[in-house]
Amino acid sequence: MLRQHGIRRRMAATTPLILAVLLLAFVIAVSLTHDRALARMAAETLIRVTLVVGFWIFVGNSGVVSFGHAAFACLGAYVSAWTTLKPAMKATLLPGLPDWLAAAEWPVAAAAVAGGGVAALVALATGAAILRLSGIAASIATFAFLAMVNTIWSNWTPMTGGTSSVVGLERYVTPWAALAWAVVALAVAAAYGASASGLALRATREDEVAAAASGIDRYRHRLLAYTLSAFFCGVGGALTGHFIGVINPDSFYLSLTFLMLAMLVVGGIGSLSGAVAGVMALSLAVELLVRMEKGVTLGVTTFALPPGSQEIIIAVAMILVLIFRPAGLLAGREIMLPARWVGGRADRTTDPTS
Amino acid sequence: MVLALDQVGVAFGGFRALSEVTLAVAPGQIVGLIGPNGAGKTTCVNVLTGFQRPTSGRVLLAGRAVSGLAAHRIRRAGVARTFQAGRLFTGLDVLDNLACTGVGLGLRRREAEHQASALLAWLGIATLESRPAAGLPYTDERRVAIARALMGGPRFLLLDEPAAGMSETEAADLAAVIRRIALERGIGCLLIEHNVGLVLSLASDVVVLDGGRVIERGDRAVILGSQAVREAYLGANLPEAA
Ligand SMILES: Nc1ncnc2c1ncn2[C@@H]1O[C@H](COP(=O)(O)OP(=O)(O)OP(=O)(O)O)[C@@H](O)[C@H]1O
Ligand SMILES: [Mg+2]
Repeated sequence: MLRQHGIRRRMAATTPLILAVLLLAFVIAVSLTHDRALARMAAETLIRVTLVVGFWIFVGNSGVVSFGHAAFACLGAYVSAWTTLKPAMKATLLPGLPDWLAAAEWPVAAAAVAGGGVAALVALATGAAILRLSGIAASIATFAFLAMVNTIWSNWTPMTGGTSSVVGLERYVTPWAALAWAVVALAVAAAYGASASGLALRATREDEVAAAASGIDRYRHRLLAYTLSAFFCGVGGALTGHFIGVINPDSFYLSLTFLMLAMLVVGGIGSLSGAVAGVMALSLAVELLVRMEKGVTLGVTTFALPPGSQEIIIAVAMILVLIFRPAGLLAGREIMLPARWVGGRADRTTDPTS
Repeated sequence: MVLALDQVGVAFGGFRALSEVTLAVAPGQIVGLIGPNGAGKTTCVNVLTGFQRPTSGRVLLAGRAVSGLAAHRIRRAGVARTFQAGRLFTGLDVLDNLACTGVGLGLRRREAEHQASALLAWLGIATLESRPAAGLPYTDERRVAIARALMGGPRFLLLDEPAAGMSETEAADLAAVIRRIALERGIGCLLIEHNVGLVLSLASDVVVLDGGRVIERGDRAVILGSQAVREAYLGANLPEAA
């Protein structure tokens, strides 16, 4: 009788594969155009996939909205800067670094992992306090955490350069490098969703009381998801730094928080596919708008949107989705191969072999 | 090895929902808990399962006070419950509803699914396995809720109005299931029901609550002969004494 479930499981396993193939196709299509601006857009989009998929691991499974994940991106970006910048550069920009960090010249991949790792450790420590709270209180506490990290980073000048930017990060993040991390994030997110902890956490999202009566320790599963989630946001932050080459605390503050939330809401918080769809939809929309902000020439007249209208239009898009499709573009569904492709008919009610 | 309330009182602000309630369930025994609406029956279950802290008195499991434990810990200690309002995880299918309890009790996901499947078969509802929990017919929803509570082999099962809204035949089927749970699995059951006939036919011991106080306790004959019980119910749905 468990046959049906086996089929369903195999179908679910195709979700991260399909999403990875779609992202791969996107990168190939963009690189065939040889358009530098498009290549940058693709890299930026794939960094956002890592960020938002990381964000989804916690928010999607727990149902607790977090406003704090941009802070994990901030930690990841600075850790990567601390460990990869040229020592001469660090001596002038960040004079307060301890000697071992001031001298460090790590490979960029190791620095990204370290960025994610530090973000995860901070999530573990702060989550231990925050995640015992119930839904809304927990959300507000994550917001306080974001504000706290931003304030510390803006004032801890010897270590962070304060509000002035840290420059000179090696700009290694091509669409391919960003794709590699996005695929890792997808694989881990899908594996977590299929795990015992993922199931338990979704049960607490559905009904806290019934979950407790099922023996589920909500706090423990939340903390695990929060830590995993922070890892990928940390990596996403590191990638962002090495994509633009310049970081400051405000590049990982309210507008990033808003963008990540908007992407998740637009795509649909209820599925991994939704998280990816939201990133793609809004990134493409933003790209269009940026081009319009620069001005579109139609015949002899040039139309240009006023600067800053990008965020307003994202906000409007999010509100429209909330009104007309509250569960998001994918409405909680996953993209997956049909049952007959994975060796079975999901609607079979009697099984002659058992 | 007994689950018990010992002199338990619960106050919500100035309102006393329970006063000095004492009751006990032994393994394999079915104890009935009846009383009019608002008598405090669900509050008893909430106290026994860690969802409500008693204001006074103790909850005892095998002689150990468990009054301060979190609900999920009490479930892991072997005290399971169902809810008056089903409370299935409506976004999940039936098998995963049961598997949730399995993983909550520390099983791996596959193990949880195997145990869930076996349990559904034992209850004769294996065909529901891959149905979404949302939109199940009422009686099936009740059975799935009981199946979910049986995951991991609890020592005690507290059933909050499992037969509410069922027809006579459906209630009789349910009675057979509850009897098997107690007899074949040795699980101590606390059965809350407005269907007093059902309770009297199953329970060896019945506790009657009214206004948060125990007004009567005993076997079928004692309950049917009790003037206090008759007054509490004002004659409503209480079967005639044989
Ligand atoms: N959390 C609460 N806060 C305040 N009052 C409560 C709370 N829970 C229950 N009560 C009150 O306590 C009394 C007992 O409630 P309880 O739910 O235990 O009754 P019950 O016997 O289960 O009734 P029913 O047969 O209607 O389910 C009721 O008057 C109810 O209004
Ligand atoms: Mg009740």
